Amino acid sequence: MKRLLGVALGILTAIGGFVDIGDLVTNAVVGSRFGLSLIWVVVVGVVGICVFANMSGRVAAASGRATFEVIRERLGPRAGLANLSASFLINLMTVTAEIGGIALALQLASSVNYLLWIPLAAVAVWLVIWRVKFSIMENVTGLLGLTLIVFAVALFLLKPDWGNLASQAIPAVPAEETGATYWYFAIALFGAAMTPYEVFFFSSGAVEEGWKIKDLIQSRINVLVGFPLGGLLSVAIAGCAAVVLLPAGISVTSLSQVILPVAEGAGKLGLAVVLLGIVAATFGAALETTLSSGYTLAQFFGWSWGKFRAPAQAARFHLAMIICLLVGLGVLATGVDPVLVTEYSVVFSAVALPLTYLPILIVANDPQYMGQHVNGRGVNVVAMVYLVVILVASLAAIPLMIVTGAGA
Amino acid sequence: MILGDLLGTPVHDDDGVRLGRVADARFVVDGAPHRLMADARLLGLVVSPHSWSSFMGYERNSLTQPWPLPQLLRWRHRGSFFVMWEDIAVLGDRSVRLRRGYTAYSPALDGSGQE
Repeated sequence: MKRLLGVALGILTAIGGFVDIGDLVTNAVVGSRFGLSLIWVVVVGVVGICVFANMSGRVAAASGRATFEVIRERLGPRAGLANLSASFLINLMTVTAEIGGIALALQLASSVNYLLWIPLAAVAVWLVIWRVKFSIMENVTGLLGLTLIVFAVALFLLKPDWGNLASQAIPAVPAEETGATYWYFAIALFGAAMTPYEVFFFSSGAVEEGWKIKDLIQSRINVLVGFPLGGLLSVAIAGCAAVVLLPAGISVTSLSQVILPVAEGAGKLGLAVVLLGIVAATFGAALETTLSSGYTLAQFFGWSWGKFRAPAQAARFHLAMIICLLVGLGVLATGVDPVLVTEYSVVFSAVALPLTYLPILIVANDPQYMGQHVNGRGVNVVAMVYLVVILVASLAAIPLMIVTGAGA
Repeated sequence: MILGDLLGTPVHDDDGVRLGRVADARFVVDGAPHRLMADARLLGLVVSPHSWSSFMGYERNSLTQPWPLPQLLRWRHRGSFFVMWEDIAVLGDRSVRLRRGYTAYSPALDGSGQE
């Protein structure tokens, strides 16, 4: 019974923790401009994150090493440092976007300008990281994030023409858009679903929670059930935008437009629930990304790390996270639009993805680390297909960004 | 000089013919014993003619998955060889020179990382 509860809790937090500011913004932007014609990318991205998280979780459980410990060992200090710089900067950008997301959601709830909420959000994130136990932090934000199901509820309450909606789901470039913007947003959506921090966090979390081989089945269920259901939430966000915003000719540029369809479909109550959900989801993701920046630095430089240690025992780890939060605060204080930061962060996530994916794929095949738990043949076939997809997306992202003027 | 400076240094034979660059250094742990581990001793260098990038672990012959990554990485390091420390004449800042009549061993390792 206790085990069953553990599995259920794991799945629920995986669903609630799947969506972050990147998914919210990108899915809504895509839904409002491309209808459901890019929805196949969500499927590709969700399968990809399942493959990646499954491998890195297995590496963590079998070898006791988290992602950046593996990267440092396998690539050596020089290539590892280039890798760290890229991954760390993009993660910092995501931290900034998530904190901005919390502040924007609180602005919508309170009508107090988001710039005033930003310091409060950052301090709250820091306090939770400093004080709250890892499992409580995970479960509370994950479960509260589940309220984002209101997007799916709103979609039903909007009573769309389901046949029409389904016929939109065929990959095709809409008449008003160009092929280049279509593929640019395809990469953005892929990057939003396969953000690297999810994997840093997932594998470091496995070490934090002391996973052993026998816990692998549970983690596999969490990933293989939780992430696809989380992906359904992404589809619902895009669906809402496609039903309400696309016909009205509104293309999403702010968080208020993301939740507009929920207000229309599910009224005031829906609005309250969705604001709670967005605050929980972005807050949870802010915790995960901030921790990820500490994890990556500490694992690369060999500092002691982890929330299972008292902050005094992992001083550099905690100091690094405080500095990251301050940098994020500084960036947001310039008045840069958090939604814009989000849109860039998901694309750069796609650019940096091969840097962490390849070492994990190699180590997951290494019996010296993995013993008998190396990748099976089937996993390797899928993983190699994804390596190609990830490489193509990574190489195409920046040229497409330049050609399309970042999707304008 | 630290080991990091040595990686990528061009390697020449006694006649000045360029053989490649230092791609890796191999150690054996058989020095004076300490509480945790014995001192490491430099056994020799791996010289690679085409690339001094990392082998990423594929110098071990038993690793064959996932196709085609090992094949590609081994192809990048085709022609690479291992020279013992005893066969190295000069270890300079800009180049490494080998002794005349040095022995080029296979750089491959078995599954447990042994020669």
